[in-house]
Amino acid sequence: MQFFRETHIDFIKIRWYALSMSVLIIFAGIVSMVIKGGPKYGVDFLGGTVIQTHFPAVPDLGQVRDAVAAAGFGDAEIKTFGERNDVLIRVQEQEGGAATSDEIMNVLRQRFPGNSPEIRMVESVGPKIGKELRTSAIWATLFSLVMILVYVSFRFEFIFAVGAVVALFHDVMVTLSFFSLLDLEVNLTVVAAFLTIVGFSLNDTIVVMDRIRENRRLVRGSTIENLINLSINQTLSRTILTSLTVMVVVLVLFFFGGEVIHGFAFAMVIGVIAGSYSTIYIAAPLVVEWEKRRVLKLSRAKA
Amino acid sequence: MRRNNLLRTIFIVASLLWAGYELYPTLRVSQLKNQLSEKASKLAQAPGLQPEAVTDALGQGTLDGLVQQALAGRSPDSLQKAQQETKALIALYDQVARLEPEALRRGLDLQGGTYLVYEVNLVKMFGDLAKNKDQRFAELMAQVEKAAREPNADFFEVLQSAFDDTGIKLSRYWGSRIENDTKILEDMRKEAEDGVQRNLEILRNRIDQFGVSEPNIAAQGDRRIVVELAGIQSVERAKGIIGKTALLEFKLEKDPEVAQDVFAKINTWMKGTLKNIRPALANGDTTKADTSALRARQDTEVAVDDIFGTSVLVSDSGKAGNDSTVLVDKDVFREDPFYSLLAGSGRDVAVPVKNYRTVDRIINTPEVQEIVRNADAQFLWSKETFKRGDQEYYFLYLAKREPELTGEKISDARTEIGGGSSMTAAGQAVVSMRLNSEGAKIFADVTGKNVNKRMPIVLDNRVASAPNINERIPSGSAYIEGMGDINEANDLSIVLRAGALRAPMEVIEERTVGPSLGQDSITQGTQAALIGLGLVILFMAIYYKLSGLLADLALVVNLVLLMAIMAFFSATLTLPGIAGIILTMGMAVDANVLIFERIREELRTGKTVRAAIDTGYDRAFWTIFDANLTTILTAVVLYQFGTGPIRGFAVTLIAGIAVSMFTAIVMTHVVYDFVSTRRTLKTLSI
Repeated sequence: MQFFRETHIDFIKIRWYALSMSVLIIFAGIVSMVIKGGPKYGVDFLGGTVIQTHFPAVPDLGQVRDAVAAAGFGDAEIKTFGERNDVLIRVQEQEGGAATSDEIMNVLRQRFPGNSPEIRMVESVGPKIGKELRTSAIWATLFSLVMILVYVSFRFEFIFAVGAVVALFHDVMVTLSFFSLLDLEVNLTVVAAFLTIVGFSLNDTIVVMDRIRENRRLVRGSTIENLINLSINQTLSRTILTSLTVMVVVLVLFFFGGEVIHGFAFAMVIGVIAGSYSTIYIAAPLVVEWEKRRVLKLSRAKA
Repeated sequence: MRRNNLLRTIFIVASLLWAGYELYPTLRVSQLKNQLSEKASKLAQAPGLQPEAVTDALGQGTLDGLVQQALAGRSPDSLQKAQQETKALIALYDQVARLEPEALRRGLDLQGGTYLVYEVNLVKMFGDLAKNKDQRFAELMAQVEKAAREPNADFFEVLQSAFDDTGIKLSRYWGSRIENDTKILEDMRKEAEDGVQRNLEILRNRIDQFGVSEPNIAAQGDRRIVVELAGIQSVERAKGIIGKTALLEFKLEKDPEVAQDVFAKINTWMKGTLKNIRPALANGDTTKADTSALRARQDTEVAVDDIFGTSVLVSDSGKAGNDSTVLVDKDVFREDPFYSLLAGSGRDVAVPVKNYRTVDRIINTPEVQEIVRNADAQFLWSKETFKRGDQEYYFLYLAKREPELTGEKISDARTEIGGGSSMTAAGQAVVSMRLNSEGAKIFADVTGKNVNKRMPIVLDNRVASAPNINERIPSGSAYIEGMGDINEANDLSIVLRAGALRAPMEVIEERTVGPSLGQDSITQGTQAALIGLGLVILFMAIYYKLSGLLADLALVVNLVLLMAIMAFFSATLTLPGIAGIILTMGMAVDANVLIFERIREELRTGKTVRAAIDTGYDRAFWTIFDANLTTILTAVVLYQFGTGPIRGFAVTLIAGIAVSMFTAIVMTHVVYDFVSTRRTLKTLSI
């Protein structure tokens, strides 16, 4: 079986359209982030406490709210998630730190004696830790980009490395934009997904660049556009297949992996699409433009 | 080439055998654990115990006692049967405990448990240690606390700059007068460091006695302690044991005359500051307070603002909202505002729960603090509330400032069930403490000199119990009564035995996963992994036919080896780890896809099958190498940055990719070689 025999699609021709689409998505994302005052951070980065509880019988949310308010947390957010007897309680950061979860659970148990809730999950992060995690997440992402820049420059050429890193940055920005537009929460696992996307997208970019490098030796006297088009077409079958298998497993994670992994899986879905796309429409065109300018400069110098 | 392949084959077979050896304990343990939980819930059914209680008791080695207690009074037959079951259960538990260290560990998120980060509260620690504390000091420390809350702020630097700014010497509050600031700061730093180290030891001790299998307790940086407790059922109890400072003090109650004097002074002060009493209340038909004892309280609600006038107190933000009114005796309120908030009963001063926060704020005002200090006394709240009639009350004690004895002199603490003697109520759990010889001597002395006074036993600034001294106690043993249940008594015994924490700590990060969510996660994770694996296998087989099946084989071997490597390095399997495994499966086939696509290309150019295979592998190798190495680079960064579960993910990703290079490139190539040397292939199923 084979999806593609030999394709001769002119990918590079429509690069400006593709680029404007990327710019549009990222722009929309940035606008949304500016309006909302930054990404919607989870407890990890913001500080605060989230308690997921499970009640044996469906509780009255009003009573839950009263109970939590009686524990001294009047501004808590209380909602159901999944089943109607699964209640999520979110409290803004408190000075006392994680003692809040005990206080809330104690009051809930007192107020619902016949329907005593069970802890499903508690995440409680002090404000200081939240800030620390935020900075270290940003550093981790930047640091991995720098490492990639160095390695790819060493194995390939500097401009390839720049193309790869710009493409990776694009992928993270697109995913972040989707999270902001859809009002999804950015937490530690989502940042882990970002770094995984970086890994996956890079994998894809390297395969194509490897082909370009090889073709440069084999095919002489071709324009850089043709060379890159040829390389992309030659690896297209593999790009689609691999993206497809990864996409399949990521979708399985999304649908069957459970609530904890949901944000991660969703980020991966967006990231896998963005990762495959960015190799062709971000990394490659950047190399094309650079090379064209270099050739132009060279010929001017000769003339 | 041929001989080389023989070596490779041997290596592949050997690695598979090794994987089997590494993974056997994991399989066996999960099998045994299923039996264990089955038996535990069966045992729990009979005497009406909670299954969680059974599992907890199993870990703490107290199951035998628990069952006996639960079955007390039942027929000897059922008792004997339960004891046999208990014995079998304990034997099974021991077997699991022996095997478990060799099995693949499951993370907190998969078996339930808690991850706690504690930070030593230096502001509180040195605030407590300071001498000559005054209003100025409180202001300075509030300022320091605020500045120290910034990330990367160093407490000592903040402290120094705060004191430098105001020109006050540190020696005014710490150290001795002849020492300069640098020396005092240096000592303080050392003290903080010591505190963390001592806390770490004490925590290890406490958790050990609580009975958690394989806890992970480590210092992080120089102010933090990370505690990971996997698989425990009662997270809240564990948190109580870890976080409790457990400073135990034996104090003496102040004489009634002194107490009366202090209360009167507070009352006078309050009356002077009260301004805006609501006219309605003031002009009400209240008769002059009848001070005779036999009079029912005539309670009425009064806004807290009325008590505090306008600005006597800084309101404590956040929690003030839910006690805007207090309960006062309206007959007394106008003349004696402080007394009206209290309800006396015999020797005890009781405070209705509704008034607790307000009274607490009053007794913590600098003015009242000074009144109390001048009497060499200290207010202490009871730990528990008491019900009298239809009201709940806290007791308020006035005790001598300096403790007579502290918990350091305790040599042992045990839980006992009271037998109804003079000290203990029958059937009630109490904590019995034994003092060391020095402590016993002091105790005998103090009790001898203070017969018929009360001696509040104070735990973390709360009165746990306040026994009356009936006679001189030479034996050096004391009891704490009023335990809610046997668990509470057990937990208190543990912390008393292990000793008080040197430096007060706060939880700054908590991640707890309930056992039910852990179970769900592992079920869903496994399910997702199996579905993902099935779909990828199916897809490869359809797309690449026989070659696809070969890639599938490589994938399965990859999985087995990956798990074995994780077991070998005692890595922890987390939910993100499972996600990592699933992701690796998607990426591992990439190597084979690259190779197969290359072989197909070579075949199209008209090469023979053998040549196409060899060129395909050769050409694809460096691509795969570069692509995978960069992915590993990002995974390494992820490991550096992440904690707990995220690290699990990074480790699986790194190991998975490394193994996939071996299975997808080396293993499949050997199989191709094997097939293509046996007979000359005209066509390749690809």
